[in-house]
Amino acid sequence: MAVDFGAVARKTWQTLASIKTGVVLLILVVIFSAAGTIVLQRPITEPDEMQNAYSPQAIRFLDAVGLTDVFHAWWFLGLMLLVSCSIIAASIDRFPNSWRYFSRPYKYPDESFRRVLHPQKQVAIADEEGGLVAAERALHSLGFKPERVVRADHFAIFAERHRISEMAVYIVHASLLLIFFGAIVDGIWGWRGTLQLNEGETTATVDLRNGTTRVLPFAIRCDEAGQENYKDGTPKKWWSKLAVVQNGQDVENKEIVVNDPLLYGGVRFYQSSFGTNGKVEKLVMEASPTAGSGEKRQIAFALNETAALDAGTTVRFAEFIPDYAVRDGQVYRRSNQLGSPAVHLVVTSMSSGRSFDVWLPASVGAGENAQAPYQFDPKDLRMGHFTGLQVSHEPGQWAVWSGVVLLGLGLAFVFYVVHARFWVVPIRDARTAKHSLWIGGSANRNRDAFGQRFNDLVALVETELKSIPMTSPREKVASVAGR
Amino acid sequence: MARVKAEQQPNTGRTLIVLVGLGIAFLLLMAFLNVVKGGNLLNEANLLYAALIFYAGGAALYLGFGVTGTESYVKFASLATWMGLIACTGAVAHRWVEAGHPPFASVYEMLLSFVWTLAALTLVAEKKYGVKVIGTVTMPVAIVGVVLMQLLRTEVHPLVPALQSTWLHVHVTLAMLAYAACALSFALAMMFLIQDKMMTETFLAVTSASTLAIYAGIVFTRFEKWGGLNVIAWDAEQKSEVFLSRGVRLFVTIPDLGWLMALATLVVAVPLSSYLISRRAKIVWYARSLPARWSDIYRAVLWIFGLRRKDEVSATEAWIKINPEPQNQESWILVANRAVFVSLLLQVMALAMFLVRTRDGHYGSLDAEGLFATSLVTSPFILSGLVGGIFISLLYLLLLWRRKDLERLLPSTDDLDRITYKTIGIAFPLLTLMIAAGAYWANQTWGSYWSWDPKETWAAITWAVYALYVHARVTRGWRGRKAAYLAIAGFTVVMFTFFGVTYLLPGLHAYA
Repeated sequence: MAVDFGAVARKTWQTLASIKTGVVLLILVVIFSAAGTIVLQRPITEPDEMQNAYSPQAIRFLDAVGLTDVFHAWWFLGLMLLVSCSIIAASIDRFPNSWRYFSRPYKYPDESFRRVLHPQKQVAIADEEGGLVAAERALHSLGFKPERVVRADHFAIFAERHRISEMAVYIVHASLLLIFFGAIVDGIWGWRGTLQLNEGETTATVDLRNGTTRVLPFAIRCDEAGQENYKDGTPKKWWSKLAVVQNGQDVENKEIVVNDPLLYGGVRFYQSSFGTNGKVEKLVMEASPTAGSGEKRQIAFALNETAALDAGTTVRFAEFIPDYAVRDGQVYRRSNQLGSPAVHLVVTSMSSGRSFDVWLPASVGAGENAQAPYQFDPKDLRMGHFTGLQVSHEPGQWAVWSGVVLLGLGLAFVFYVVHARFWVVPIRDARTAKHSLWIGGSANRNRDAFGQRFNDLVALVETELKSIPMTSPREKVASVAGR
Repeated sequence: MARVKAEQQPNTGRTLIVLVGLGIAFLLLMAFLNVVKGGNLLNEANLLYAALIFYAGGAALYLGFGVTGTESYVKFASLATWMGLIACTGAVAHRWVEAGHPPFASVYEMLLSFVWTLAALTLVAEKKYGVKVIGTVTMPVAIVGVVLMQLLRTEVHPLVPALQSTWLHVHVTLAMLAYAACALSFALAMMFLIQDKMMTETFLAVTSASTLAIYAGIVFTRFEKWGGLNVIAWDAEQKSEVFLSRGVRLFVTIPDLGWLMALATLVVAVPLSSYLISRRAKIVWYARSLPARWSDIYRAVLWIFGLRRKDEVSATEAWIKINPEPQNQESWILVANRAVFVSLLLQVMALAMFLVRTRDGHYGSLDAEGLFATSLVTSPFILSGLVGGIFISLLYLLLLWRRKDLERLLPSTDDLDRITYKTIGIAFPLLTLMIAAGAYWANQTWGSYWSWDPKETWAAITWAVYALYVHARVTRGWRGRKAAYLAIAGFTVVMFTFFGVTYLLPGLHAYA
């Protein structure tokens, strides 16, 4: 038995293009995405939290059906693709009809059309030409551009506005597809990650969301980062001065803040956090000789730097502990946050060849502070900062944003731009031989407001008719006699 | 008969207007005396208070119109609403200047914007579309909003870096406008159902089911052993909730309030159960017809795949022909209606007790030593639930007692249907732009325009439901009830997105 592929294909196409299918698919998307907001999602939940919330069997089941990561599951993507296909099919299915309607406007209303059209009205006129001129003037004053339709045996006036409104729904659907397309491109070729940079540091490696790293074709350096606070201490602004380094040269510099990223080579760098990195940028101290009344002097240095105190004595910044604790005579580092800091200096005297361990504050205890030739008084401690950056590459963005703009325009057309049409046909009654003007109108939406516009037009035609001089004396006589 | 009524109206009309006018004048005078003592006339609290007074006057007059149908009320009602709107505009402007950013950053500020939009839209609907009775529904909502604001009052908070963006303001403005339009379409759809002769009993079932859901939700999540009610502790000095550890809030137990809530739940359940009893015969009948309905579902599935025509006589229809629906029992409906009234009194009592006990007093906790204060700020969900329950019951009673008048006052079903569609024609593009602006903002801040966080997802779901409405109406010619149901479903989803997601589901939108 031969399978009729043509029939099957036609049937599939019809099913796909039907509004019924679209509605069912849309409902499915709604149900599954709602489920995705109620069931905890793996990408945004800690594994512990997941285990606390559900029993092991439940987790196994949810993982198996993909409900713990709905929005990245293959079947959800498939569903979105089906929605796209349904939109495409529905649009293609209906497009030829609309296009015919759009490209070949219906200009001369035939008798059957005239019989059913609403609203319509007949106005008595003296002669055809005068009536048509009056109608043209009325349409002109309403802002239309009427055209005369001349056929072999009849003629009429046709005027319309905003024919594009008939195509608006296709603009909306096309823009949705454009947005989906952009999102899919981003899903496949885009990536997101984070980057932590200390001030002065340069790197080209980004930690991606999925745990891997990515090396950029250029490097990024943070020159400076900072934070501004409100009076009550809550952060007001984070900023970082970034430089893009390519082949050893700075190619771009920008100070970024939250909401204002740096874009280079299709990669965006967003300010996302800021903090101290537990490293000293500069330590400022005052040193005074232990013996005698020597001069006090200010020294400033960073970790592992050495400064000269006098001709025969140097001091090295040996160690910095941002948050110290002493236990059993030993100094421990409690954390990397700046809490109670301790500084370890080594003072070396060339003349005696001796070195002294100096600890600040002295209460740390392990040092030989008193024996050292100099005493130190810390004045200022400037900590190094890190800046936290979000990094993303979204090659489909242009499609998404142009889709959004198009969608807004399309919806404005769909809801607010009316395709209004007017026809004016002069009619001669075969029995009474009297002339009248048949006026009809149609709008594709907002029909009650259009009814008002139609009435305005009829009233205008009637006033124009009164002001138009009669075209020929014979007609004038006829009309006077008619009265 | 009609003439007698017409003659009576001016009399009652004047009484209410004079009463409301006197009330407004009195309250304004009292407020003014207070202000003279304080010395600062045009600050935000005073403006808001003035707005509240005028809104309350407007609501009273609109309600008076809704109940008696006296046309002259409407003029004064909209006058009061205008005055309230002006005061509210002043409050918004004041807040804006004081905070240095448009008022969209906290729940309080968003309520302020929402109330403003709602009053403005009410006036538009009244003047442009002639739906005069709409104020009966929207103005009480506005009052509830202003009262909630008084309770949730907070000083201006500085914006954290992520929120300092023009796009955020665009996003939230659009959201408020869209949600207000959705609220209006919901009210119109409800009016459509009233005008469409939907049975009062159906409204009874729906309203009592909603109030029952509210109370059951409160009792289910917050009832503590021995009749206490759990609420989150509030630190008045720090002006923040008390945390046990990061992300874990401290709950304190208000004794005996749990019993009151449980009692209220029971009483609220009475109307629904009486309704169900009155429908007992019908339920039994429905249960018996289920096998027939299963075959209907089977048919529907076949129809979806285009295998069979829908217009075949279904098994249910055949079944109904042989077994006509039984009559319902009127006396139980009577019981249900009385129970609604009683439950309303109890609900008011529950709200009053809740207000009094959360504002004052210190309570013990099961998780920590010592006594802690609490505040209404920590339980906005319970508060809006309680207020919403009262409001729903009131609306039902209004419908029950004044249905004839309502039907006379409302525009025709066709008009209501069309205006609903037009309102959604406003709401839908606004929703679209709102989502787009939010996505753009997220892209500027986090580097990703769509991250499927719950609020985002639910905004998309809202959009999809209204998209369904538009498609169903335009291409399938769904008018009337089915369209009204969809409009109502859309607003339900909006409410869930606005409140439910914030309090029930976690996500990035923690600020709102």
